[in-house]
Amino acid sequence: MFRPYAPGYTLMFYDTIVIGAGIAGMLAAIGRAEAGERVLCLAKGHGTTHWAAGCLDLFDIGDGDPLAGVEALIADHADHPYALAGVDAVQAGADRLRAACAVGGSPLVGSLRRNLRLPTAVGALRTTCLVPTTMAAGDARQLPRQGDGGGPLLIAGFHALRDFFPPIVAANLRAEGFAAEGVYLQMPPTDRTLDFGTVSLARLFDRPEFRADVGRQLRQLVQRGRYSRVGMPAVLGLANATQAVSDLQAAAGALIFEIPTLPASVPGMRLYRALEAALLRAGGRIQIGAFVRRGEGQGDHLEAIYSEAAAREQRHHAARYVLATGGIAGGGVRADYAGALAETALGLPLRTPSARADWFGTRFLNETGHPVFRTGVAADAGLRPLDAAGQVVYKNVAVVGSALAGCDPVREGTLEGIAAATGWKAGRA
Amino acid sequence: MQTIPTDVLVIGGGATGLGCVRDLAMRGIRSILVEKGDLTNGTTGRYHGLLHSGGRYVTKDPQSATECAHENVILRRIMPHCLEDTSGFFVVTPWDDPSYGDIFAANCRKTEVPVQEISVAEMLRREPALNPQISRVFEVPDGSADSFLAAHTNALAAHNYGAQIFTYHRVVELIRTGAHVVAAVVEDLRTRERKYIDCGFILNAAGAWAGQIAALARVKVTVVPGKGTMVAMNHRMVNTVINRCKLPADGDIIVPIHTVAVIGTTDIHVPDPDVYGIDPEEVQLMLAEGEKLVPGFAQYRALRAWAGVRPLYKDQDVANDRDISRTYKLLDHRQRDGVDGMISIVGGKWTTYRLMAKDAVDEIARRLGNTQPCRTADEPMPIPNFEHRSGNYAGDGAEKLYWLGKPLAAVEQAQAYGDLICECELVSRTRVQAAINSGASNLDDIRRDVRMGMGPCQGGWCIYRTTALLYEQRSAQPSADVTQDPTFNIQHANAALLHFLQERWKGLTPVLWGDQLRQARLDELIYVSVLGAGRLTAPAETA
Repeated sequence: MFRPYAPGYTLMFYDTIVIGAGIAGMLAAIGRAEAGERVLCLAKGHGTTHWAAGCLDLFDIGDGDPLAGVEALIADHADHPYALAGVDAVQAGADRLRAACAVGGSPLVGSLRRNLRLPTAVGALRTTCLVPTTMAAGDARQLPRQGDGGGPLLIAGFHALRDFFPPIVAANLRAEGFAAEGVYLQMPPTDRTLDFGTVSLARLFDRPEFRADVGRQLRQLVQRGRYSRVGMPAVLGLANATQAVSDLQAAAGALIFEIPTLPASVPGMRLYRALEAALLRAGGRIQIGAFVRRGEGQGDHLEAIYSEAAAREQRHHAARYVLATGGIAGGGVRADYAGALAETALGLPLRTPSARADWFGTRFLNETGHPVFRTGVAADAGLRPLDAAGQVVYKNVAVVGSALAGCDPVREGTLEGIAAATGWKAGRA
Repeated sequence: MQTIPTDVLVIGGGATGLGCVRDLAMRGIRSILVEKGDLTNGTTGRYHGLLHSGGRYVTKDPQSATECAHENVILRRIMPHCLEDTSGFFVVTPWDDPSYGDIFAANCRKTEVPVQEISVAEMLRREPALNPQISRVFEVPDGSADSFLAAHTNALAAHNYGAQIFTYHRVVELIRTGAHVVAAVVEDLRTRERKYIDCGFILNAAGAWAGQIAALARVKVTVVPGKGTMVAMNHRMVNTVINRCKLPADGDIIVPIHTVAVIGTTDIHVPDPDVYGIDPEEVQLMLAEGEKLVPGFAQYRALRAWAGVRPLYKDQDVANDRDISRTYKLLDHRQRDGVDGMISIVGGKWTTYRLMAKDAVDEIARRLGNTQPCRTADEPMPIPNFEHRSGNYAGDGAEKLYWLGKPLAAVEQAQAYGDLICECELVSRTRVQAAINSGASNLDDIRRDVRMGMGPCQGGWCIYRTTALLYEQRSAQPSADVTQDPTFNIQHANAALLHFLQERWKGLTPVLWGDQLRQARLDELIYVSVLGAGRLTAPAETA
């Protein structure tokens, strides 16, 4: 039976409590902890890192300069999260994320001034900006095209992995004019015989003997087919993918790159691990499995928050709070069947762009996305939550990432960019 | 144009048409069935899956009730793998007229529907989630039926007796010589090729579309399409079919089928069987009605909503669709309209499809001088390849019927845990491949065969996986167990993926709130962002 909080005690005092453990929440927590604060990150579960491609999408504007695109967006849309964060935070947030990933052994490469296009698990090209080094050789500009005489591209996977199918990847790349072939490798013998998911395969790739076996197979294929590059599912190690890719390249005699799979996202997990390590190094704490259900305010000051775990409430108290619960995808915004939308952690007012009848477009893959997914908390330039009248609800709360109104990060291709910019801004404010 | 001679052309690949073609073939009558979509593309594939005991019709439509009661017994014998023996309750809730209980029980007895009153305590012991304020409970032999599998089972049985079945073939013309319908021109919707089918008889079993077919022969048949909306919930909060003990109305039945419970239905007259939407109010009405049977019903996760069109035949003016008889009518157009060579079978319901087929085929056999008796009630049917193999299960008797744990037991027996393409519905790679090999040409066809994409994630994972398998198999080198299709290329695979994403979206939008809204956003993240599906190239008409 669930027990509401019984007055009498509060858990440890913190300077800042961050709600949510995605990129936005983790960067905010890291920033505060590095500034010397006592920081706790409370999250119901992992964030969008574990679902997404594990890259930093800044802004999908095709071949143009994405940072210039962000500047133009800021000029035109004063309430877009990028505008609230400011272009300096966009750069600083991306830099801090890169630094954490580099220290964590999963460095990101690329430039905010140039988008990359990388193959997906269905063989389409997706636009992104900063990518793990393990994906860099998949840059479409470098991939062999039909008729250019170079060695073709090989897409290699495993039958047992149901989240990546080489033939369809290669076929769609060929349809785009690339020279590509798909092949299934033999699963090296292991103690595991059933159910190879992305994460279990990644753990196998952490083992040198497993990599060596795959490397030998790749070498034979490369020698026979003169392949210049090999695209593989993004499962090439969880602990040290950079080393795994380097070993495989050396064995195969060709460049290797990872292609993101269906979730769970191994590159996203590496990114999360790097952020978690940075937070712990800075002295912060993190508690996953704590679902923040309500807040307790005094006027425009949030006094305490209450989390639910193991069938009882806990009260947490801090000088300031960061809401990083990720909007509808993250579970931070929830709709009921009558069509009412609610912010789940603190009950903050939401800005939603349309009535229930206009929540969705008729075509799933329409160009503009579905209006309901732009629902979020409106905020001022200090990222403080605003009510419908434009008044600050709590002066000691910052709202970051996809919990913010005024954007559709999936459709804009701004998911990690917004998270890093606003998260880092809250971490530094 | 290719000419194909046959004795009987059956139009419509739903339960009725397939029942007819099986019956014809078993009597040695050459027959061809044409269907403009995939099998069960019409109403058969869009119903709640109730195997009627007859209870719902005992008062208003006693003949239907008796027919259902008899067919219920027969179907359990000839196609047990398609049926789950859930049993059924008719319950008197505080919102229902308490005096109807006695009338209901008396009418069950009159119409031969087996009925037994049980105590509320016994009801709550068996179904603890039901409303404890229910005052009376009557048990009847309702069940749930997999109408997709049943259609393929009938098709396989018919095929084994020599019938030909053409899916994705639309009738574009019925040829009349004077007062005789003598042939049909059908078009393969995939290749645009036409076939001339020279036939002795046309059997119009097009259900809600029967009026459109009859019009091609310049005969007027009025079928009232009655839209019924249903909502599937991600939970079997009951394992027994639950009916309100009252005259049939909206949202008064919950059918547990496979891993879900379906609540139905509405009944709204629509002018065109191909054009209708689902209003959020219909969904809310059903959830509110569900609350009366199972308190907390609206808090369960709704998976999808869909609608089918009941083919109600209007032979007189009646005020309310529900008052149109649910029994069926055989229209002999020679007698009725002076047009020979065609009969229409209209109305009816899934549970009585075999009986409808028997009556129609009896008439045709008589005209053709065929004296073979109908054997469809006696001969059990073969099981399609893509179905869970029942192979070595313990107890081959009662367990011939479908049971909830059967798919998981099959996965465990085959140790296929690591080979699940659709985790929600426990669909293994081999079953998807079997469905592709049996002729499924897009993901929706595969879904109708094996149920992939029908669970909580609504295809988030399996749409990609199934598309990849479809591509691999269709573009593969021909071999003993792989049918190669030289016309199939990557663009078709992309089109299949995009088409199915859109089909799922249509069923989802009326029920997107709570976790299912979150799921839709995750699926959007996967297909738009991680896979970049919006950038796939596909033939223009499907994209």
